[in-house]
Amino acid sequence: MRPILLLVPLAILLTATAALSLLGVHGFGQLASGAGLPPLEWHLIRELRLPRVLAAAAAGALLSAAGCAVQARFRNPLAEPGLIGINSGAALAAALALALGAGMGTVFMSAFAGGMLALLAIRLLGRAHRDSVRLILAGLAVSTILGSLLTLLISLLPDGALRSVTFWLMGSFAGADWPQALTLALAAPAVWLLLYRRWPLLNALQLGNDAAFHLGFDVKRGEWQVTTLAALAAGFVVAACGMVGFVGLMAPHLTRQLVGGDAKRLLQAAPLTGALLTVLADWLARSVIAPAELPVGVITSLIGAPFFLWLLQQDGKHHA
Amino acid sequence: MLEAVDVSVSRQGRQLLDKVSLTVRTGEVCAVLGPNGAGKSTLLHIVSGYAKPDAGLVRMADITVHQGLPKALAAHRAVMEQHPAAPAGWTAADLIRTGLYAHPTSAGESAVGEAVALTCTEDLLPRGLQGLSGGERQRVHLARTLCQLLASRAPERYLLLDEPTAALDFAAADGLMTQLQRIARQYDIGVLVVLHDLNLALRHADTVMLLKAGSSQAFGPAAEVMRKDRLEAIYGVALAELISPDARVRAFVPMSGH
Repeated sequence: MRPILLLVPLAILLTATAALSLLGVHGFGQLASGAGLPPLEWHLIRELRLPRVLAAAAAGALLSAAGCAVQARFRNPLAEPGLIGINSGAALAAALALALGAGMGTVFMSAFAGGMLALLAIRLLGRAHRDSVRLILAGLAVSTILGSLLTLLISLLPDGALRSVTFWLMGSFAGADWPQALTLALAAPAVWLLLYRRWPLLNALQLGNDAAFHLGFDVKRGEWQVTTLAALAAGFVVAACGMVGFVGLMAPHLTRQLVGGDAKRLLQAAPLTGALLTVLADWLARSVIAPAELPVGVITSLIGAPFFLWLLQQDGKHHA
Repeated sequence: MLEAVDVSVSRQGRQLLDKVSLTVRTGEVCAVLGPNGAGKSTLLHIVSGYAKPDAGLVRMADITVHQGLPKALAAHRAVMEQHPAAPAGWTAADLIRTGLYAHPTSAGESAVGEAVALTCTEDLLPRGLQGLSGGERQRVHLARTLCQLLASRAPERYLLLDEPTAALDFAAADGLMTQLQRIARQYDIGVLVVLHDLNLALRHADTVMLLKAGSSQAFGPAAEVMRKDRLEAIYGVALAELISPDARVRAFVPMSGH
């Protein structure tokens, strides 16, 4: 199938979902019947929902592209951006900032810095070894240490701060304001482009480090470029929205079923799939028990995991 | 000319290769033979540049391999690894085209076509790698390496293969070796192949290197190097040397227990 035949419907589907999420079913009906929306509704859409939907879409695109990158880099379909271990660094730093009563801007920047510091630690620890397993183990060790520090911090927090930390940890686009949404919306295409330009490298890495070297790539450098870009992508998302689980794992798989495993085609479609998933999940998080709201991470995992299992079974049948 | 000079490698206190030297000329097939653990794959990794020797050097055309950039090396040699990967969701065509990454030239498309024709993989192109048989997968990987070499404009080109016949039945293995010989002659490509089957080497290799415990036991023209007493000493097993009635085929068979 020509890629365009898939990309266009995906983009249309994404636009439709975003519009639905912006207007709500009710608003959609009102617009369709030609009644128009009241000014307050427009204000809500412009100031609250638009940055939120934009942040959700950009976050989904980032997680999805990062997922494609780490799955290729680790040659493991179970890899997801969190595997590098940066989430724990971001979470601890964000929780610290929240506990100290910082505003959302500061929380964003601390979380991002925390994630990058964790990456740096993992890189220094895993540097002596050339195999990926050591890197994953180093990531796991760093995650465990930071995670226990986070638990310690949570146990010491007063109730008010605890609530905001917990909500942040569960992942939500609710806090996304225009500055955050714009940061994500600028980061997404930039990081994506840097990854997309490396599609031959991503393909070669899937064949193994030796094969990638034989095909003409500087493997060590390439692996770190890919890891860093994926960590950057995940870092932006986790800083803005907390832990949005499963999208970085599920979106690449879904995309692979649609376009195959070639990194070029995969990276073309993956951001659209990822954005579609997060925008949809965010809309569900807002509307399932409206006017109350669920953490979006709950939606992505609760719907994502069973869907993922179903997907794996389809895949199994396909090969049998 | 591809030349390894006094290559030594040790890892974790174990000597894997001890002052091994060999030469491969373009247009000829050189086979590396030896018991398990003799250092055959290590030698191939050193020659390809993927691993560095502790002493000695490898020269390929005018490049000192361990100072060469990956791109420059990839223009001169392609490698078929021992356990070729089959990533999920890839078609055979996806795999073959990875051979073009090193030098995306205008010659790329015709190189793909030629590599596909040489390996008879036309019918496999749209198929998923994971659905291919071992033999089919092997052919597709060979096409990938040929594609890499045919797209290159380097003056000297080499094809390195690590036990390419391991997953093949004996007719397919013989067919592959015949093909490698033909490719070597037709395109003036030097072929260095690690083999387990003595008789394949005997029939299809121009030169043979015999390795045992990391040191070179003999290197030279296949017929001269592969003598019964020498092979018996290297493999530690009694051999029968059989010659076909028309004297055109020679073969060694182990005679354990006799």
